[in-house]
Amino acid sequence: MRYLKLISLFARASVQEETAYRANFAIGLLYSLLNLGTGVLGIFVLFGQVESVQGWSFASTLALLGVYLSVGAVRSLFIGPSLEALAGMDGDVWSGRLDFVLLRPVDTQFLASFRKWRIFSLFDLALGLGTLGVAVSRLGQTLSAARIAGFVIALAAAVAILYAILLAFTALVFWSPGVLFTWVFDGVFQMARYPLGLYPGWLRLLLTWVIPVGIITTVPAGMLSGASSPGALAGMVGLAVVLVGAASLLFRFGTRRYASASS
Amino acid sequence: MTNQQMGKSRKPFVVGASAPFSALKRILRTSVNLRGGWALIRGTWASWLQYRSFFFILAFGWMIPPLIYLLVWATAAGGRAIGGMTRGEFVAYYLALILVNQITYSQTNWTVGDLIRYGQMNRLLMRPLHPLFDALSSELAGKVVYLAFDLPVVIVLALILRPEMHLTPGNVLAFLPALLLAWALRFFWGYWLALLAFWATRADALLAVQDSLVFLLAGQVAPVALLPGLLHSAAVALPFRYMVGFPVEILTGQVDPVGLALGFAVQLGWLALALGLSALMWRQGVRRYSAVGG
Repeated sequence: MRYLKLISLFARASVQEETAYRANFAIGLLYSLLNLGTGVLGIFVLFGQVESVQGWSFASTLALLGVYLSVGAVRSLFIGPSLEALAGMDGDVWSGRLDFVLLRPVDTQFLASFRKWRIFSLFDLALGLGTLGVAVSRLGQTLSAARIAGFVIALAAAVAILYAILLAFTALVFWSPGVLFTWVFDGVFQMARYPLGLYPGWLRLLLTWVIPVGIITTVPAGMLSGASSPGALAGMVGLAVVLVGAASLLFRFGTRRYASASS
Repeated sequence: MTNQQMGKSRKPFVVGASAPFSALKRILRTSVNLRGGWALIRGTWASWLQYRSFFFILAFGWMIPPLIYLLVWATAAGGRAIGGMTRGEFVAYYLALILVNQITYSQTNWTVGDLIRYGQMNRLLMRPLHPLFDALSSELAGKVVYLAFDLPVVIVLALILRPEMHLTPGNVLAFLPALLLAWALRFFWGYWLALLAFWATRADALLAVQDSLVFLLAGQVAPVALLPGLLHSAAVALPFRYMVGFPVEILTGQVDPVGLALGFAVQLGWLALALGLSALMWRQGVRRYSAVGG
């Protein structure tokens, strides 16, 4: 309860901070629409040439794009900005301001994960969910309650996996400040725009087991199109639990290594 | 001027020359502090490495989108041909595109806007040299660093993915001027957009729009020949294809002689417009420019 109150407090403070720069709002709107437009047109061009690729049709790939955009929106809503404030360029670890974070009487990982909000991303989330809606109507399948429930669970697990990966990358900063791990991850995460099946075998293994970015979008989208089995869903939920646990451990180890900055 | 005066005026110079020498002596005298010296060397080296890794990470990020489409199209083609291109030809096309895209991408355009906004243009304006040269020099330096990352990666990818390429001397000969013009067009097109920062504070939004258009129309999302109807006509007419896709198509042998002549004509036309707009923006803009801060 106390944590929920804190979250709403953090969010409100962020809104106040953000609305001070109103011109950025229009620019953000433009970037969101560009992101959506290039994504949809990319799929449109591909499926203008071929009917389906490895069992993925236009509609199911569009559903996957919807998942990609939605999960990405949740990331930039709070996970991204919060962790960036910790480990990014001029972040708390670099400048030594983490002292003040560690001293607060709240769990450090909680504070590091929910501190900063970018409310504008709710618009991105709406675009992502809208894309999902259009894709589902194009799929032309009647969705049972069980499948919708499976999809929602898979989506939640997707967010959890993404959070765990980002937290782990953030924790690495305690060992090597200055190397921008999250930037590398951003590049790899773009690969989740397309289904795993569209990549060659070695890359598919890499994106499933080493940096499980592919699972984040492929399994939830497969729940909608019927390509994912219940086993895949169970595996994904298991992976999410394991990854969040492991990342939290790594983060705890990392904060112990932290030795403030200079002086 | 008397000898004495000359001696006086030369004195600081003499001191200046001996300063590093005496510093060296001091270092030698206090050479006990080897640990400190080593730490300094290691620190400097690390900071260089860090900068290099920073640039490598940027280059990595720029490489990913074409790489994704390489893999997607190669998988889609499988054992057959799409729009006359086989799997191996898609691989060759996109590997060439990764390099051409990096060579023609001008990162400096983003910094030009910042220089104007934060008033750092002052420093450059004081020099007896057009600020354009500053942009051009960092442009060149950047290319070397980025290609040092891209080339090995592309070679490794070529070994794994087995591209299919039929290089002819004629294609290579036509490719080089097309590449140079593509770079010039992309640079000056971005330059005049960036110079809009003289009037609007957030002109870099236009650069983002430009990046999206390049992604769609310059042959990244698909080779221009595979774009559907309206997109294809837009790609052929607008400048973006001539910034990236056109040289790549020449190298991979997808352009016939008529298309080649026509392409060069369109490329030169857009370049002339970009140069004219850059000159105009600069002349008008620099008059409006009033420095920010000291």
